[in-house]
Amino acid sequence: MSKVLEIKNLKAKIGDKEILKGLNLNLEEGKVHAIMGPNGAGKSTLSKAIVGHYDVEVTDGEIIYKGKNIVDEEPEERALEGIFLSFQNPVEIPGVNNAYFLRTAVNARRKHLGLPELNAAEFLREMRAKVEELGMKKELINRSLNEGFSGGEKKRNEILQMMMLQPDVVILDEIDSGLDIDALRAVSEGINKSKDGKRSFLVITHYSRILDYIKPDYIHVLKDGKIVKTAGPELVAQLEKEGYGSFEEN
Amino acid sequence: MAQEEVNKAIAGEYSLGFEIDIEQDTVPPGLNEDVIKFISAKKDEPEWMLELRLKAYRKWLEMEEPTWGKVEYEPIDYQAISYFSAPKKGPESLDEVDPKILEAYEKLGIPLEEQKQLQGIAVDAVVDSVSVKTTYTEELKKHGIIFCSISEAIRDYPELIKKYMFSVVPMTDNFFAALNSAVFTDGTFVYIPKGVRCPMELSTYFRINALNTGQFERTLIVADEGSYVSYNEGCSAPMRDENQLHAAVVELIAMKDAEIKYSTIQNWYPGDEEGKGGIYNFVTKRGICEGENSKISWTQVETGSSITWKYPSCVLKGDNSVGEFYSVAVTTLAQQADTGTKMIHLGKNTSSTIISKGISAMKGQNTYRGLVKIGANAHGARNFSECDSLLIGSECGAHTFPYLESKDNIGQVEHEATTTKISDEQLFYLRQRGINEEDAVSMIVHGFCKEVFSQLPMEYAVEARALLNLTLEGSVG
Amino acid sequence: MKLEILNALDGASILKELGANAKKSTAASALAKIKVPHKKSEKYRYFDIEPLVSKDWTVFHPESQEVQSKGKKIVFQDGILANRGDIEGVSVELGDFSDIDGAHFDGLYYLSHLLAKKTVIIRCSKDASFEIEHNFSQSNVLINYRVAIFVDANTHCQIYESFKGEAEGSFVLGGYDIFAARDASLKFIKSHTLEASGYTPVWSSRYKVDSNAFFKLSSFDFAKSNGLNIFKAELKEGANFDASHLLYGTNKAKCGIVSEIEHEGKSSVSSQNAKSILDNGARGIFDALIRVQNSAKWTKAHQNSKAVLLEKGAYMASKPQLEIYIDDLEASHGSTTGQLDEQALFYMRSRGIKEEDAKKMLILAFAHEVVATVDDEYLANKIYAEFERVYYGYYELDCLKTCENCQDTTTGL
Repeated sequence: MSKVLEIKNLKAKIGDKEILKGLNLNLEEGKVHAIMGPNGAGKSTLSKAIVGHYDVEVTDGEIIYKGKNIVDEEPEERALEGIFLSFQNPVEIPGVNNAYFLRTAVNARRKHLGLPELNAAEFLREMRAKVEELGMKKELINRSLNEGFSGGEKKRNEILQMMMLQPDVVILDEIDSGLDIDALRAVSEGINKSKDGKRSFLVITHYSRILDYIKPDYIHVLKDGKIVKTAGPELVAQLEKEGYGSFEEN
Repeated sequence: MAQEEVNKAIAGEYSLGFEIDIEQDTVPPGLNEDVIKFISAKKDEPEWMLELRLKAYRKWLEMEEPTWGKVEYEPIDYQAISYFSAPKKGPESLDEVDPKILEAYEKLGIPLEEQKQLQGIAVDAVVDSVSVKTTYTEELKKHGIIFCSISEAIRDYPELIKKYMFSVVPMTDNFFAALNSAVFTDGTFVYIPKGVRCPMELSTYFRINALNTGQFERTLIVADEGSYVSYNEGCSAPMRDENQLHAAVVELIAMKDAEIKYSTIQNWYPGDEEGKGGIYNFVTKRGICEGENSKISWTQVETGSSITWKYPSCVLKGDNSVGEFYSVAVTTLAQQADTGTKMIHLGKNTSSTIISKGISAMKGQNTYRGLVKIGANAHGARNFSECDSLLIGSECGAHTFPYLESKDNIGQVEHEATTTKISDEQLFYLRQRGINEEDAVSMIVHGFCKEVFSQLPMEYAVEARALLNLTLEGSVG
Repeated sequence: MKLEILNALDGASILKELGANAKKSTAASALAKIKVPHKKSEKYRYFDIEPLVSKDWTVFHPESQEVQSKGKKIVFQDGILANRGDIEGVSVELGDFSDIDGAHFDGLYYLSHLLAKKTVIIRCSKDASFEIEHNFSQSNVLINYRVAIFVDANTHCQIYESFKGEAEGSFVLGGYDIFAARDASLKFIKSHTLEASGYTPVWSSRYKVDSNAFFKLSSFDFAKSNGLNIFKAELKEGANFDASHLLYGTNKAKCGIVSEIEHEGKSSVSSQNAKSILDNGARGIFDALIRVQNSAKWTKAHQNSKAVLLEKGAYMASKPQLEIYIDDLEASHGSTTGQLDEQALFYMRSRGIKEEDAKKMLILAFAHEVVATVDDEYLANKIYAEFERVYYGYYELDCLKTCENCQDTTTGL
């Protein structure tokens, strides 16, 4: 099985505080990896480090994506190469039209891949189909980006973008937070449909509920800035029973 | 992004800085009564107009240049400016317009041949001190609409001019208005008769071309009862190291149930990043909602000029009348803008809206200054103002100075303002979706201005967006 | 003397004319530059300064009197220190004050420094809570005095300022220079009722808030005649300035706040909230500028003015201003002038409350939000009671005239 993303001895800090303390993680092509861990373990920091967020300073280690260390790459370069983060709290951008924004992003990616850009009609056709699939309100596509969206609408909008952008690695940061059951179903269906045997997923969560909907191949336990345990899906049950306390660093 | 790259991105090249190589009649620099007599004679003006000009000039001599604006510049030597410059050949028809002028206007994207124009836009083209061409005049005449240069109007419609000129902006309103009243050279006159909805967009395009000249145009628009007109103006000037003065006056009069929509895209040469050269844009614009239910709406996109000093205002005299001011002002390089509006509520249930978006980058200083005054008899008057500033880079400045004076205990005055930079979070979100930083900044800035752009007529909104991109090109980093 | 005559003089001549100490030459040149305020002074745009500077005043200069040292109050009589109190850790001396602001925006700040022969210097070297009382009895004179307060590093104080007396026709010119040193905190609470036939005060102050110090200003002005509060606050790194103002104006009084808050240091925080209730021809003034210098990144600055005009002749002049020279900050302001919330009023009336009573309840609630910023419960109650006294006092009279059998149930008076 080929590794699409390989994180080696990653150390990172936010401000003066070291959060990731030598983290190792391999993501396999076509697989669903779940990262679980208590609050403050460094889960969101890990996702931010992978996409190059300005809050996070990587002090040591490597993030090898498709054979290349991307630690120093600009965020848009990583995105164009196929890394997608579904944000925990997607930001609101007043006045920027949702559809216009997404078309710009889709065409930037297509251009990067050497594909012809989509014209407005082609794009809208595709987008409308996906909007329907996700059970999103149609008017949301013509509103300002995330502005005034409910929590569920924002998350559906993230998944819509994911489906349109066709990334290779999808990081879902607390995708289930703030979702009601309908939204949770729609969002996980969208994700499950995007599994094509090649695309890899990194599901970051501290509840196991989402894993009933998105079946993981691997579970990693993140604690105090390191992965302390990696196992198959059976680990979920153990975590539910015993909590994170029993996992000490190997 | 590194600040330098940002700056490079914002300070796009000024693309309209070429000079038209035409023969011009220019009076030597200096201002005295003889110069004013010369201007008046050149324009074949009746005696009464000359008298008014001289009266304004004598008042101006006693007035002082205002200093309260938050702008800094070297003192202007009013004797070093030439007050009249005109292309030598005065055209009778389009065939006689100097081909070089036609070419220049094409370069500016404003063809003067009617068949080449966007459907439904009539243009008055002004180069330096004279109107060189007014299009669609005949077509408009069929509706009883007068659309001509102000010089023609003084000759052909003296009664209208005598009645309305100086009625909204008195000749001694302020220093620059007084100067304009004495030496104004050309500009546009519009009259829309009762009940007529002007079938096309009217527009004037101003071009400063000659060296060391000032441009002093005067625009007067009268919308009679129940009429409607949408008027647009655009401006540009060659790139020069010297500062040039532009002191215009615009007067609008809206009678009962009439509506005037006035849009400006101001793109005078802004000078360089050290503040060298560029236009001093000192303009007085005011409209009066004379009759009940009338409406005046100002929309401005100010990207050019080294210094901007202008406050398009509304006097809301008629009951239930409405005033609006929508503004995007961009200061980059070393530009300074002190701009805003005055909403004077006199009539009952009058309402006004102010939406101002200031964008500062590089060393730009951007000031919103506005007055909302609710008179004691303006029962139920309402105002809402929103003045937001966006800062790009750590050397620029954004200032908000509203004056809110209310004497009515039934009405409501509400003002809100925020000053922010483009949030890292927003920028990052867009970049994570693969949009490069410059495009991401442009996207956010356009979003910031959207409320104002949506007020512009379609063709001009497109122009405004393109202009904003060009202006911001290179200043984001 | 007429104050306006100074505007014809240069710094040296001002010094000579006023017989001021040569050490104050900087103040004199500053005054020569920015001038004694006059009709056209921008900062006095909404206040009647002209009659005060053009009148030929007798400057009140009594023989020095004995200063008592008892109780928990510092007492001034007509601008003269009468009692320095006996407060642990707080020293009160008459002295020469040299640290005059070099860049104040107000001419009267300099003028009052130049007129004051000595400054009352209060130094707080231990945590303390005390009162400063001002008494006025001299009519038709110019009373001028300056007070400087130093709160030492890491010291925490509360000062309550109160006023007594009417001094008809007098012009009271004065103010504070307050220095809150590093990590110090000061809560400064001022409650001032201006009677209809009293003096006209113009206070012009300067507050300097050092690194990580906290200055909380709560001012309550209940005015039946003119009065103006002017201040400039300078905030160093991490300093926090929190100002709340309540103004109730009636009887054609012109009164309010003219201020500048200057963010100089990084991560400084300011918030300024003014509420004005204007009645019976009164004019409220909120002319407040926040300036964020290029050195003050990560600043947070917010200002807000809310005004209610209770009757037709009332007038609010609101001028919140932001002057920003750095991009990395949060700044905003808001201003609303209007009437009481119609929906709230209707709701109360639909529950059977008389319109007049409903209005009063809403006004009290509006005022209460500012009173609630005073966390000393005793003082808060006292101020609230004073507001009720001034506010109802006016209405009661009105009420007696217009209706019989009036029983005001909401006041309990």
